[in-house]
Amino acid sequence: MNCNGTEFANRDACHVLAGIRHHTYSAYTRGIAVHCFRRFLVIRHDVIVLGAGLAGMRAAIEAKRAGVDVAVISKLHPTRSHSGAAEGGINAALGNATEDSPATHAFDTVKGSDYLGDQDAIEIFAQEAPGDIYELEHMGAIFTRAADGKLAQRPFGAAGAPRTIYSADITGHVLIHVLYEQLVKHEIKVYEEFFATQVVVDGGQCAGVIAWDTQRGGLHAIQANHVILATGGVGRMYYGTTNAFACTGDGMSLAWNAGVPLKDMEFLQFHPTTLKSNGVLITEGCRGEGGYLRNKDGDRFMVADAPNAMELASRDVVSRAEWKEIADGRGVDGCVMLDLTHLGWKKLQSRLPGSRELAMDYAGVDPIEQPIPVRPGAHYMMGGVDCDVWGETIVPGLWAAGEVSCVSIHGANRLGGNSLMETVVFGRRAGQAAAERVKEQGDTGARIEASVLADEDRRIAAIVGNSEGERPGVLREELAKTMYDKAGVYRTEEALTECKEKVVELRERAKTLKIDDHGSIFNTDLTSAIELNSLLECADCLVTSALARKESRGAHSRLDHTERDDDHWLKHTLNWNDNGEVRLDYKPVTITKHQPLARSY
Amino acid sequence: MTEIKNAHFTTLKGAYDTEKMEATLRVRRYDPETKKSRFDNFTVTIPVTASVLDALDAIKDTHDGTLSYRKSCRMAVCGSCGMRVDGGAALACKTPMKKFVDAGHTITVSPMGNLPVIKDLVVDMAPFWQKIRAVKPYLDTRDVDVPEKEWRVEPAASDQIHKESLCILCGCCVSECNSMESDPEFLGPAALAKAYRFVGDARDQDTRERLRDLNGAHGIWDCTRCYFCNQRCPKHVDPRDAIAKLGAESFKEGFTRDEGAKHAKVFVDSTYKGGYLRETELVPKTIGPVNAIKDMPFALQLARAGKVPNPLSPHKAKDNDEVKRLWKLLEKEAKGQPRRANAKHPDAVQGD
Repeated sequence: MNCNGTEFANRDACHVLAGIRHHTYSAYTRGIAVHCFRRFLVIRHDVIVLGAGLAGMRAAIEAKRAGVDVAVISKLHPTRSHSGAAEGGINAALGNATEDSPATHAFDTVKGSDYLGDQDAIEIFAQEAPGDIYELEHMGAIFTRAADGKLAQRPFGAAGAPRTIYSADITGHVLIHVLYEQLVKHEIKVYEEFFATQVVVDGGQCAGVIAWDTQRGGLHAIQANHVILATGGVGRMYYGTTNAFACTGDGMSLAWNAGVPLKDMEFLQFHPTTLKSNGVLITEGCRGEGGYLRNKDGDRFMVADAPNAMELASRDVVSRAEWKEIADGRGVDGCVMLDLTHLGWKKLQSRLPGSRELAMDYAGVDPIEQPIPVRPGAHYMMGGVDCDVWGETIVPGLWAAGEVSCVSIHGANRLGGNSLMETVVFGRRAGQAAAERVKEQGDTGARIEASVLADEDRRIAAIVGNSEGERPGVLREELAKTMYDKAGVYRTEEALTECKEKVVELRERAKTLKIDDHGSIFNTDLTSAIELNSLLECADCLVTSALARKESRGAHSRLDHTERDDDHWLKHTLNWNDNGEVRLDYKPVTITKHQPLARSY
Repeated sequence: MTEIKNAHFTTLKGAYDTEKMEATLRVRRYDPETKKSRFDNFTVTIPVTASVLDALDAIKDTHDGTLSYRKSCRMAVCGSCGMRVDGGAALACKTPMKKFVDAGHTITVSPMGNLPVIKDLVVDMAPFWQKIRAVKPYLDTRDVDVPEKEWRVEPAASDQIHKESLCILCGCCVSECNSMESDPEFLGPAALAKAYRFVGDARDQDTRERLRDLNGAHGIWDCTRCYFCNQRCPKHVDPRDAIAKLGAESFKEGFTRDEGAKHAKVFVDSTYKGGYLRETELVPKTIGPVNAIKDMPFALQLARAGKVPNPLSPHKAKDNDEVKRLWKLLEKEAKGQPRRANAKHPDAVQGD
């Protein structure tokens, strides 16, 4: 089958082939038709999972177990996904260390969210978390054990009990590998290094994904009535970020352009302990194991903002305290000091070996002897694709799970250890729900039409063909600095307005980009151009929402509106795509048991 | 409008201040469309803390957008950016540039070895993944009833596979594997380390079958023990040690018929008996007397080149008792180590 690898030099001829003069070969394997339009490969599956991090792989495994035909599309090989970089752990109320219950877990999460989390979703989350942990363990996850052989649990920020199950400080790595092992075991098809460029909606129903084959070149229509977005976060819109280069909000942008609103995008979590040189994360586990934060005078400054929880207050509180110290001149070279020297060699080597190595590699200090300079860095997008407790969006057949989604568990601020748990609980739920829908409904008839594919090909060809303008990397850095300077830990009307203007300007400048690589094989110039576009759209949603929200709640902290305002702002922000412009809308928060209270640690 | 308190909090001054340096890199290029390769030199200005990956990014953003390489986490955990730096595989993100710049050295960056090149520094990892899949890379608890809660595993038993669990599947070990260079079908260090991760797992019930398969063609005994994998692994997995552990487990399960296993056994027996490796015995005991006779012309060739030791040298070392004492000490130490604990063993783990 000659369906891949035709060079872009022939693109005009290819348009003709795609739209009109296509040759159709079809092969039928297990009821799945594989059509081959010379250059365009058209494939059909029941369910497509976009992204192969923890949420995506968990969703795919669940759908496969339910007996439907599922495939995963990912721009990276699954084990390269950024879930693997998670360090500290995963929260579930097992009660192995001290007494604990899902109800306490739920309350901590609600309080941590600054009451913006939907409490029905949080209850499901806390209730189902322990079962999912046991299942991960049965799959083979290598968690750290307590002396009695049970799973060990460590304290984490703003948690009422030691609830965080972990594997030293490489929990995400262990989990990504165990789910990949299950992916292999279940023989799930993975379109590796396929870059999704469009989620297609046909007659109001999800029709599938158009994706670019990075390795071989070629644009493919992958038909599926159900698409589960699990593409992760968008941290790369910030300069100081813990996120991988791959975290560019692709799924958020795909959903936004498919007519699904993005929710609560102003809530971007800053992690308190990241390295200045390249933003690398030093786990909250360091503080969980007893680390101190000190300013240049050696004082533990957390005493002012969280006299009880100290370094283990929630992340928004700690990040603000650090930022204040640095801005007021009590930092050291733009950082505060994370002091682990009193923990001793043995504890560092057994519980935090990865963090020690990262500090040595990227900050040049050995935490056994010296404190690590750290500062807040963009870490986690609490907002994302608006969806219900099963992950379904307003477009039937389009689902979301993990960081790309906003169910919302985390509300205005996420607790450490809750994101890994969310990927597994809601990944599983989305996989299960999508599979059930396939069985109930059968084929909905939604299809990616040849004309849609041809249009998309013209769009991609235009990007590849362009050589006038600025390079994608240059614009991304300008965006990242703008966001870090103007929409960071503390925000004001003035700074946000400047930020919005700059983002709008950058979106305009990004319409023509300098692309050097006009080839079709492993063209990372092309993919970074598409990623830049996703980042800019997400940044626009973030800054527009942040400008409008005139209160301080969780991670969104306004110097000109310093109080939480439940009368006016206890509601979710929705960002709709109005011909490329952001249109704001709001929807209520679900409150079941816990009425909003003042939040202190 | 009231004045905003602490307005200076919005923007951190000096957030991007870093010392810069100039670095030159020689980069191997391969164009898949013309199928031609070449070397390009680039000089870039980068922060003093920059890694090789940061330098490549600087090239792509300021000099040449056509340069292709894989990257993602830039913190040595995703395993994307394995490539050769001055001829040896490393993670670009974990290799700092400063030491090279300080030494005035221009580094050469090229794609990993033992894998086909797709473009520039990007290699085709398909053969790599195929080998990972070949070792049945998932926990098999068979028909054993899964506990309601977690399996109980003692920390010491769990530590047995700690090193292997660190593997990020970057391929640096495979790139430098000497055995794979001569036998591309050799399972290789990454897949074998993965295999030990399950063989050594207290919960896995498939140990015997796994070891039987690993004792087959292109399996554990094809490793030449060059230790390049240990040397090049960026995560301290030490794949060669994992292969050695697989060998030891194979002996325990009675898989001793492979020539490689026999070869290892001669070393052990011969040194125990006489304190010397009796090389004259090595060949016949490894490949059998008939094959040894067939190989006589080769042996004579070696002898003529002075590469065969005197078969009549003393058969016992002077202080052989000391060797035996050492042997017993090691044996005792091995017994003291926590054993693989699973349902087949007396110190079995069970769920609640």
